[in-house]
Amino acid sequence: MSRPHNAGSVIHDIGYQRYQGVRFGRRYSARSMYVHSLRTAYGFGRSARAKLLPCGIFALACIAALVLVVVSTQLPEPVLSYVGIVAIFSYGATAFVAVVAPELVSRDLRNSLLPLYFSRPPQRSDYALAKLAALATAVFALFAGPLLIMFVGLAFSGTSGLSGMLEQSGLLLAGIVTAVIHAIVLAAVALPLASLSGRRVFATGIIIAFFLIAAPVSGVLREIGPGALADLAGLLDTVSLLNGVDRWLFDEGLVRVGSYGPVYGLAAAVLAAAGTALLTLRYRKVKI
Amino acid sequence: MNLTITRITARALLGRKRALLLLPMPALLIGLTLLANGTGVPAADWGPIVLGEMGITVILPLTALIVGSSVLGLEIEDGTITHILAKPLPRREIVLSKLFVAWGVTTLAAAAPLAVAGAIAGGPGLALGLLGGATLGALAYSAVFLAFSLLSRRPVAIGLIYIMLWENLLVRFASGAKVLSVQRYTTATADTISPSELLNATLPGVVAAALAVAVIAAGTMLATMRLRSFALTGETS
Repeated sequence: MSRPHNAGSVIHDIGYQRYQGVRFGRRYSARSMYVHSLRTAYGFGRSARAKLLPCGIFALACIAALVLVVVSTQLPEPVLSYVGIVAIFSYGATAFVAVVAPELVSRDLRNSLLPLYFSRPPQRSDYALAKLAALATAVFALFAGPLLIMFVGLAFSGTSGLSGMLEQSGLLLAGIVTAVIHAIVLAAVALPLASLSGRRVFATGIIIAFFLIAAPVSGVLREIGPGALADLAGLLDTVSLLNGVDRWLFDEGLVRVGSYGPVYGLAAAVLAAAGTALLTLRYRKVKI
Repeated sequence: MNLTITRITARALLGRKRALLLLPMPALLIGLTLLANGTGVPAADWGPIVLGEMGITVILPLTALIVGSSVLGLEIEDGTITHILAKPLPRREIVLSKLFVAWGVTTLAAAAPLAVAGAIAGGPGLALGLLGGATLGALAYSAVFLAFSLLSRRPVAIGLIYIMLWENLLVRFASGAKVLSVQRYTTATADTISPSELLNATLPGVVAAALAVAVIAAGTMLATMRLRSFALTGETS
């Protein structure tokens, strides 16, 4: 209520002091929601139980990366590239978003907190976008930890000195780009699905069913389809789709895309945009 | 077993619109089997993916996870569990009734469609094998996830980690993990009842069945013990 009162509009004034301080605006609120959601995603500021799952998955990813680095330093060639590690960990990241996305949105729906948010300066779309950005950042952090471990392990163990480090930095950059793409698409798929249900049980179930069921469907089409259909089958499954984008951009990844690389890139962009649009639409229509 | 609790649980589970959420997965399984069967590509190419990777690895555990953790989990979350706990019933009976409903619904929604898909892909023998294996698997999964729903506030998240990271990832790299994988029990039992090249069993059937029975017993006992000393708390964290 940042509008000044005029004397005639007061219904009943029992003489309390008014708030005279600075009012932070919409952007400040949106940033606060983002920071708070990001902390919620990893359970910071909450009980140890809430930290267990997200931080546990993060720790598992880091341990796996450490093992890969140790194995790689013993071999002439690294077992996995930076892009490859993101591609492999995307499967684990789907479990992560299925656990975290309901924490971000379903609890607010279930506990009827939305009226409190929506009666303040930030608009409904700000809420949706702040949550989406927070989830994407959380997923990116899940990829960034292992990437950093791998970089430290490979760049400082090499014998080629500075030139080796520069080369590793260039490769790391490709890994980071991949991680950003994967994080945005996974978050944009998971969050609209999570916002459908106020119960975390069902929200998690919907997300994971969406991710898990698509993989064998695309696998079967790959088996039975003729050439073009087999190359395009990966589009049905989000993780295969992302791996197809890796194949297109960096020529490494787990799926065969034939000459349809740009189609995969376009599909990923459309998926991210559609997810964001559906999420904002959902919060425009949501009953509070 | 208590008939009233069974009836109430079944109604809470199936009497709402959300019961329709159970339909798409079996429909997709049977639809995909029909589609693949219609193309004339030999079943050896797509059978393991449809029946193994989709049916046994995804649809069966996922259905059991949703159903098994909601039969008791939703009542705990809503606080209506107090009404049941306040009745002069042995806790064992409550757990067994809930488990029975979860098993029945999972069998209907996942094991039966799997058998139908098996019949299309490989004939009645395979269908019988899959029905037997998946029915046993449904009971084992239900017992495990029912126990999870009493051990934790987030049973679905933990069950999901078990399915995705233990059964699907760890078993692939550390084959010793298969001893505690319900998915492996299901496959092995199905393969023992009706040996088929569409199933890749890695455990001997007798061992798998014995382990499954042990898991079912352990899950049920754990759930009963937890329910005996159950403390009601609000949704914190």
